[in-house]
Amino acid sequence: MWKAVRVGAAAVLAAALAVSAAGCGGEEPAASDDKVTLSYAVWDKNQVPVMEELAAAFTKDHPNITINVQLTPWADYWTKLRAAVTGGAAPDVFWMNGPNIQLYADNGVIMPLSDKVDQAKLDLNVYPKALVDLYTFEGKVYGLPKDFDTVGVWYNKELFDAAGVKYPADGWTWADFKAAAAKLSNPAKGVYAVGANLAGQEYFYNTIYQAGGNVISADGKKSGYDDPATIEGLRFWTDLIKNKQSPDLKTMTDTAPLNLFESGKLAMYWGGSWNVAEFGKNEYTKTRVDAAPLPTGVKQATIIHGLANVVSAKTKAPAQAWEFVKFLGSKPAAEILGRKGPIPAHTGTQDAWLTANAQFKGKVFLDAVSYAVPYPVSRNTAAWNDEEFKQLTKAYSGEVEVDAAAKELAAQMNALLAKE
Amino acid sequence: MAEPPRPPRGGRTATHVTLLIGAAVMVGPFLWQFLTSLKTLTNATRVPPTFLPDWRWSNYGDVFELLPFGDQFLNTVLMTAARTAGQLLFCSMAAYAFARLRFPGRGLLFGVFLSVLMVPPPLFVIPQYEIMADLGWLNSLTALIVPGLFSAFGVFLLRQFFLGLPKELDEAARLDGAGPLRIYWSVMLPLARPGLLALGILTVLWSWNDLFWPLIVNTDPEQMTLSAGLASLQGQFQTDYPVLMAGSLLASLPVIVLFTVMQRHFIQGIAFSGNKG
Amino acid sequence: MTMTVTGAADDVRTAVPAPVPARRRRRWRHRGAEAAWAYLLIAPTGLGLAVFYLWPVLQTGYFSFTEWGPFGGHEWVGLDNYRTLAADDEVLTALRNTVAYTLLGLLGIPLAVLFAALLNRPRLRGVSVYRALFFLPVVTMPVAVAMVWRWLYNGDYGLINYLLSLAGVDGPHWIADPATALYAMVAVGIWTSLGYNIVIFLAGMQSIPREYYEAASIDGAGALAQFRRITLPLLSPSLFFVSVLSVIGSLQLFDLVYVMGGSGQAARANPAFPRIQTVVHLFYDKAFYTNDRGYAAAIVMALLVLIVVLTAIQFRLQKRWVHYG
Repeated sequence: MWKAVRVGAAAVLAAALAVSAAGCGGEEPAASDDKVTLSYAVWDKNQVPVMEELAAAFTKDHPNITINVQLTPWADYWTKLRAAVTGGAAPDVFWMNGPNIQLYADNGVIMPLSDKVDQAKLDLNVYPKALVDLYTFEGKVYGLPKDFDTVGVWYNKELFDAAGVKYPADGWTWADFKAAAAKLSNPAKGVYAVGANLAGQEYFYNTIYQAGGNVISADGKKSGYDDPATIEGLRFWTDLIKNKQSPDLKTMTDTAPLNLFESGKLAMYWGGSWNVAEFGKNEYTKTRVDAAPLPTGVKQATIIHGLANVVSAKTKAPAQAWEFVKFLGSKPAAEILGRKGPIPAHTGTQDAWLTANAQFKGKVFLDAVSYAVPYPVSRNTAAWNDEEFKQLTKAYSGEVEVDAAAKELAAQMNALLAKE
Repeated sequence: MAEPPRPPRGGRTATHVTLLIGAAVMVGPFLWQFLTSLKTLTNATRVPPTFLPDWRWSNYGDVFELLPFGDQFLNTVLMTAARTAGQLLFCSMAAYAFARLRFPGRGLLFGVFLSVLMVPPPLFVIPQYEIMADLGWLNSLTALIVPGLFSAFGVFLLRQFFLGLPKELDEAARLDGAGPLRIYWSVMLPLARPGLLALGILTVLWSWNDLFWPLIVNTDPEQMTLSAGLASLQGQFQTDYPVLMAGSLLASLPVIVLFTVMQRHFIQGIAFSGNKG
Repeated sequence: MTMTVTGAADDVRTAVPAPVPARRRRRWRHRGAEAAWAYLLIAPTGLGLAVFYLWPVLQTGYFSFTEWGPFGGHEWVGLDNYRTLAADDEVLTALRNTVAYTLLGLLGIPLAVLFAALLNRPRLRGVSVYRALFFLPVVTMPVAVAMVWRWLYNGDYGLINYLLSLAGVDGPHWIADPATALYAMVAVGIWTSLGYNIVIFLAGMQSIPREYYEAASIDGAGALAQFRRITLPLLSPSLFFVSVLSVIGSLQLFDLVYVMGGSGQAARANPAFPRIQTVVHLFYDKAFYTNDRGYAAAIVMALLVLIVVLTAIQFRLQKRWVHYG
């Protein structure tokens, strides 16, 4: 009731002031039996044209279904989506990511798709297994993978040449990486081998799995940070900082590792397949950098993440929404996506992406799928992500020994997981 | 008439030296900002630094690539103009009523207005955001403008001003048969120009530079203000300082130019608000 | 030379209609019409303040007793938020930092008085130029100011550390080092508001009658004695006004911390961040980053208490040192 009063008062006031409500667009045509308009929420502005192209292609085959692509920028996507879900105005189909999938599935906000997949006899093996697993919650699939990204090492050829170090190649190991790092670093000149960025997806998650450790147990109930192997994966980075082969956290707070790499102060930058856009455009990196696979530790591993299309549990047109998601997951749709966007998830459609980014060894990122590990998540990923930062900052800055920080992190994370 | 006191001899040079050092500390950062804005990232991060820039004007172009700078500039101008116009009108109306009209509950109402002045903005923000969300105003110019149309401070400031105007003025107008509205519009407002100017300047300054509210309600880059847009560039992944310096210079330039042109009014406005506000 | 506070107090008193002999006032024929006009004129601002300010304050108070679910909706949890808050290191640290900013920020006042006194010397040339230069940071967008200083403070490529290196000093990473970050931020705060304070003080000084100084001069008082016995006491209302503003401003510090310290993930990866986190930044983070709005409301209620207490202390103390002429 209070909400009504609030809205009423504000509306009256607004009307009285005759302020034009510029933001009130987006009319919804009434859905009849045969004509339906589906809203499709996305967050990447760069992908809006390709999404609209896909929508048009879909409408061509399904003349009764129109797709309304709605862009909400990343910074606000989840906040607005939550508000829309609360207000019963969730988009029919929308983009989902790893850290959020379980929260949405667990709260019944999105529709399980397993039955529909079975009915349509879809083969989920056309997508990387790690991605299908990421979007499976309590045995049910909730989203069809759209695209994926993996992590590799971007390196500066000029700095490698100057130090007389061989370029990283397939099959290189932690030992090779460390030997190269020693030669590439020249702290007196402000040049370092790599920036030990305090970031999971591109940095410490990878080394944790390469060391044979894990971030979270397979059932999502227990933290892996007290596993000695996990701690080795973290020590990989704290050692680099200790040995002055990486700038310390303070330097990286003052100047972001990406910008250090782009001004020739870092020989290597651990980054994703998505960096092709930035490095292809930047004047400095355009001609000087290329990609290589991550080095192998006890195991070979890279974090894979990707988005999926999901259907709102409250959609008024579930059949049509599923039809659209099915189309988005199909091979023809993936082929359209690959020419202009990220790496499409559907196997056998990635050549378009390789051709579009031919100046770099993009194949590195595709090959990585065979040994990729899914992005670690649980029901409330954000809660322990915060804890990771809090504890690991202390380890990276040398305030606390890495094993002590990791154990504290494990304890805190287990407490949070128990609450889920 | 006695001579004004003289500073002790020799003190004059010391005074100028101190003031010059102070002025250098105030202006130096702006010069460095300008010089950096014309360097390449590689040169900006050279040790020891180079002082002369590379005259890389394309950094200014890069700002437009990094941000929808044109849209944000327009949003900021429109928001500032609307808030200022709204406050000048609404605040002067209320201030006139409080200063010159008699009505039951005047003291109480004014007390309520003053109480708003005491409350720090973060206390309003969550419910204000909820109102905007309920009305579907998030990510719109409307959201930027509407709450800023009303100001307890503006009412207070202008009321002080109206109270200082001679009573005979409106009494004469009343004798001529003018109603309150006409007195407000034709007698009071023209006389209140210095007060309105002071409030106008303060509102422009506050609106242009406002960060907290725009940051919260408009998260779509095309709907952001310059302040929020620029702030969104900082962060872990973007410290391309030459481009950041170019952007921050461009964003603050309009008000700096306005200040240079209207310097006397700015200083008077501030001093006025300090004395009356 | 009446200053804010006297002015305000007097006016609040006169705001209550004084019993004026009726025949001496000419009124419109209908008192009712006058009141109606008054309400009409007050209505826009009155309604606006009610809807967007007064009602929200009450709601925030209510929210501070609720917990918000991931998909909206909130439930009453009584004092839970306050209980958590009292034991939350993050909140206590932010409160401590905020108080530190507030106290250190007051150091800007003597500096401004010094410059205002210099500018107030009779027949000094270039006063308006100096004043304009000192005023420049006041009109510059705080976000831009913060960016420039972030660059100046850069530990590896910043101008400040370069200048220090000329003197053989190896400067720290000013805003990324927990040991220096808070002080570096305070310095920027003082730098930004210096010009504003100088203008206020200068206006205050200029309204002191010259005769006072002349008389003192004749009695043989030197410049310093004159400053202590005449300028300072007569400037005390301005000093009080500026200190109240400075305290309220510092208690709500946000922009500088947001830009120089970061937010969201960037803040979390910044080793110095726990030393510079302010209450308002923490509020922003809880309300709009982690979406814990009930807890955020409780945090901001704590800030309100802090503001009320510190302002009350200031008003209590003013009786001892502020002289109204």
